[in-house]
Amino acid sequence: MASASDPHASAFSAAELEFLAEDETIEIVPNLKMDALNFISGDFGPFRPQIPAQAPLWLAVALKKRGKCTIRAPEWMSVVNLTQVLEAERDSDKFQPLPFHYVEISRLLIDHARDDIPDIYMVRSLVEDIKDVRFHKIGKGLESISAGGTFALKLKNLSAMEANIVRPFVTRALETFYKLGSSDMIQETDHAPNRQQTADRGPRRQLKDR
Amino acid sequence: MANYYDIDDILAEEELVPTVFQHGANGVGLFDSSDDADKVEAGSRAELPFWLVRELYLRQLVSIRVPPCFDRESKTREEIAADAAHVDLRSRSPYFYELGCKIALLIRDRTIGPFLLVAFQTRYRDVLVKAHALTLTMTPKYLTLLTNEETKLYEAGQSSIAAFKKWRMGGPRFQVAPVLGRKRKLT
Repeated sequence: MASASDPHASAFSAAELEFLAEDETIEIVPNLKMDALNFISGDFGPFRPQIPAQAPLWLAVALKKRGKCTIRAPEWMSVVNLTQVLEAERDSDKFQPLPFHYVEISRLLIDHARDDIPDIYMVRSLVEDIKDVRFHKIGKGLESISAGGTFALKLKNLSAMEANIVRPFVTRALETFYKLGSSDMIQETDHAPNRQQTADRGPRRQLKDR
Repeated sequence: MANYYDIDDILAEEELVPTVFQHGANGVGLFDSSDDADKVEAGSRAELPFWLVRELYLRQLVSIRVPPCFDRESKTREEIAADAAHVDLRSRSPYFYELGCKIALLIRDRTIGPFLLVAFQTRYRDVLVKAHALTLTMTPKYLTLLTNEETKLYEAGQSSIAAFKKWRMGGPRFQVAPVLGRKRKLT
């Protein structure tokens, strides 16, 4: 989407990331009988009514839309867990471990399976808060690039969406830092003096300059 | 000749650099249009584009006077040292960093490199904060201060944030391929 129209935008558009996130598996409780499905990514099923089964998220959403299953919200999406994560996120400088696609998964589930998630409003606002706190941290982390001597950045546990949003900015910035901070530009001091003199040619200029 | 196909690299080399001719030259009066003699006296000053200066300089035909924005005792240096974030570098040169790099490497001025780095370090922070915080209506005023490089950086940050926000607000879930919109031709 965005990447097609604007080559300088992220490597992936948000919609493409959502597509990738749909390959994550999730637990569903089907209410239909269906034989096992053989996909390239693996075999899922067989599905029996009221027996929980694993399925890729896209399949779960598709079944859910047709009213053929209920989705079990993953454990990390419980209010208890999210509250803990949010607190830990606020307290420490590190990023808390969350699923790589947590932004996309939570949005998909909140959009399509609102009745299957307990305390959906709470969950939604918690996820939003966590996301905001993490973004703020990323911004602070990016500011610190310029402070150190080496231009590098360590962002452990960064999620797909977060990495994707900062990618165009960070790569450009690091490129420029690298260019300006390369040894050619900075440590020109020791091995250059001979050439410096020939290049300067001070006395000759005075003669000609009259 | 680092990036032959990079348009910005080419445009950066179009920037004018003040030079002093070391030798007189006939037939190049267009450099120094003060008279009709169609020649340049030794010692006369002219502003030439960088790509030409480099060739002439390597042949020792001209000497380079460091452009005022990179000069050691220039006002720009003082301003950068005071508050780099609000210096209008674009009016100095839209390709401030690129030109600075090229000139520093050519004349082997060891003070330009650290100066550029310090300038970018402080300005980078401001670009970062503004790219992530400013609304689109406020941008034009700020953008006039930035060099080309910084503008691109700013836009990269801004556009990815905007794209994410659009996705989260739930824009159009499906895009209709242009082929599908057309009416079927009557055969």
